[in-house]
Amino acid sequence: MSATSELPLDHKVNDLVFEIDHLSLAYPSDRDRPAIKILDNISFRIQRGSALTLVGPSGSGKSSLLRCLNRLVEPTSGTVRFDGYDVRSFDPRELRCRVALVMQTPVMFEGTVRDNLCIRPAGVKGDFSEQRLRTTLDEVGLDSTLLDRQAVTLSGGEKQRVAIARALLRDPQALLLDEPTSALDPPNALLVIETVSRLRAARGLSIVAVTHQPDLVHRLGGSLLYLIKGRVEVLQSLDGPNTGAPLDARLQAFLAGELIPGENHRT
Amino acid sequence: MSPTAPILDLSDWQLALALLLVGAIVVVSMRQSLGLERDLLLGTVRAIVQLYGVGLILAAVFAAARWYWVLLILGVMIGVATQAAVSRLGKPLPGGTWIAAMALTVSTAVTLAYVIGVVVQVHPWYEPQYIIPIAGMILGNSMTSAALAGDRLQSDLRTRADEIEARLALGFSGPEAVQPMVRASLRAAMIPTVNGMMTIGLVQLPGMMTGQILAGSSPLVAIRYQMVVVFMQGAATALGSLLFVRLAAGRYLSPAHQLQRYLL
Repeated sequence: MSATSELPLDHKVNDLVFEIDHLSLAYPSDRDRPAIKILDNISFRIQRGSALTLVGPSGSGKSSLLRCLNRLVEPTSGTVRFDGYDVRSFDPRELRCRVALVMQTPVMFEGTVRDNLCIRPAGVKGDFSEQRLRTTLDEVGLDSTLLDRQAVTLSGGEKQRVAIARALLRDPQALLLDEPTSALDPPNALLVIETVSRLRAARGLSIVAVTHQPDLVHRLGGSLLYLIKGRVEVLQSLDGPNTGAPLDARLQAFLAGELIPGENHRT
Repeated sequence: MSPTAPILDLSDWQLALALLLVGAIVVVSMRQSLGLERDLLLGTVRAIVQLYGVGLILAAVFAAARWYWVLLILGVMIGVATQAAVSRLGKPLPGGTWIAAMALTVSTAVTLAYVIGVVVQVHPWYEPQYIIPIAGMILGNSMTSAALAGDRLQSDLRTRADEIEARLALGFSGPEAVQPMVRASLRAAMIPTVNGMMTIGLVQLPGMMTGQILAGSSPLVAIRYQMVVVFMQGAATALGSLLFVRLAAGRYLSPAHQLQRYLL
């Protein structure tokens, strides 16, 4: 059960959390140079509660594709549907609370961990009570005594988990992870991977992750999308009905911890 | 202005004597192999030609005292100031010229109207002897500060793009997400003006006050004008850079609250 483009026609549409159709992205030309193509005719589907991992060489458009899903980036053509509706039909600010993004380098704002968890635009409703903050920190494996610590003094792994907790406080349906572990050392990376996969199971979150970590892919399951120069090279399910099918050799190599050719591996 | 001493007119001979000072710099430059002779000579020629040109034009406009000539001159001044402000941006901003022109025009017009109409109460309002030098002082200041603010905004948006994106991803609007960078660039633009107010008169006498004193005004008259100038420059600086930074920041945002990173 996961992302596949060959869903039966009678499949209930609202079981899909994301439907991406013929998505292309190009940036306008700089002076006399031609437009820069970032993504080229990408289509895929993600079922509710499932995961999709984006892999590929740097500069292949993974981060841009991820940002099309919460409309931080506007595709040049094609559509992105979330929850059955074109993302353009949502208020972008509301969409981004429902489709939360966790970035490679967690951004901590001035102030305590509490300030960082509670940061929100004026007039945004939601439960930001002390009790909720504590349970959410607990959910990401952090002690609630951290609430009064200055956020900048946290370790990289702690910051990343605060960033995830901050996203969770908005009750998202989907979590977008942009290389969530690549700025962390192995033990911290492992903690974040563990947290994310636990959350997916516990909350039924749909997850789209850009990652170089085979560990994260194994824990998340779902499907793998291999992007090269903005095109879908391979889209393969890791579980569900297609489990028996042999994996593409390149993905196999990736999952075995080998580098994808042309990859600038970051640790 | 109440002249207390006759104004000394400078003859051509006296100007020529002043030119000897440039000759001295040329000698130093040649002795020390600074390689500045060419630029010095060009600079000297340009200074003479440009100042003579401006003098002739101003003399004609002062004599004619027609509002349309005054407006034309103000327009040219704003055009040059706009070009200067925009050319200092690290990377060209699409529509930047119009944004700068708009910010400088509005801030100059508002400040000028208040100073000419309410504070100094010049009649008629287009009296060139007042409006042109005052507009020049306002524009000179707001041009520099707008350029400073724009440059700072651009570099802050670039280096803090992740922070902006993090705010957007948390549901903040585009203007809310760039507010910290807008604030930082406004501060950067305002600081020289505020610092200037702190030491004014203690280190060197401001140009306008110096001019008035040389022209025979009492220092007590000159300082009053200088105060008006300082306050008006502060106001124009704040208004001009506020408008410029707000409009420029808007260019980097889309209606869908996206940061258009490719423009940075």
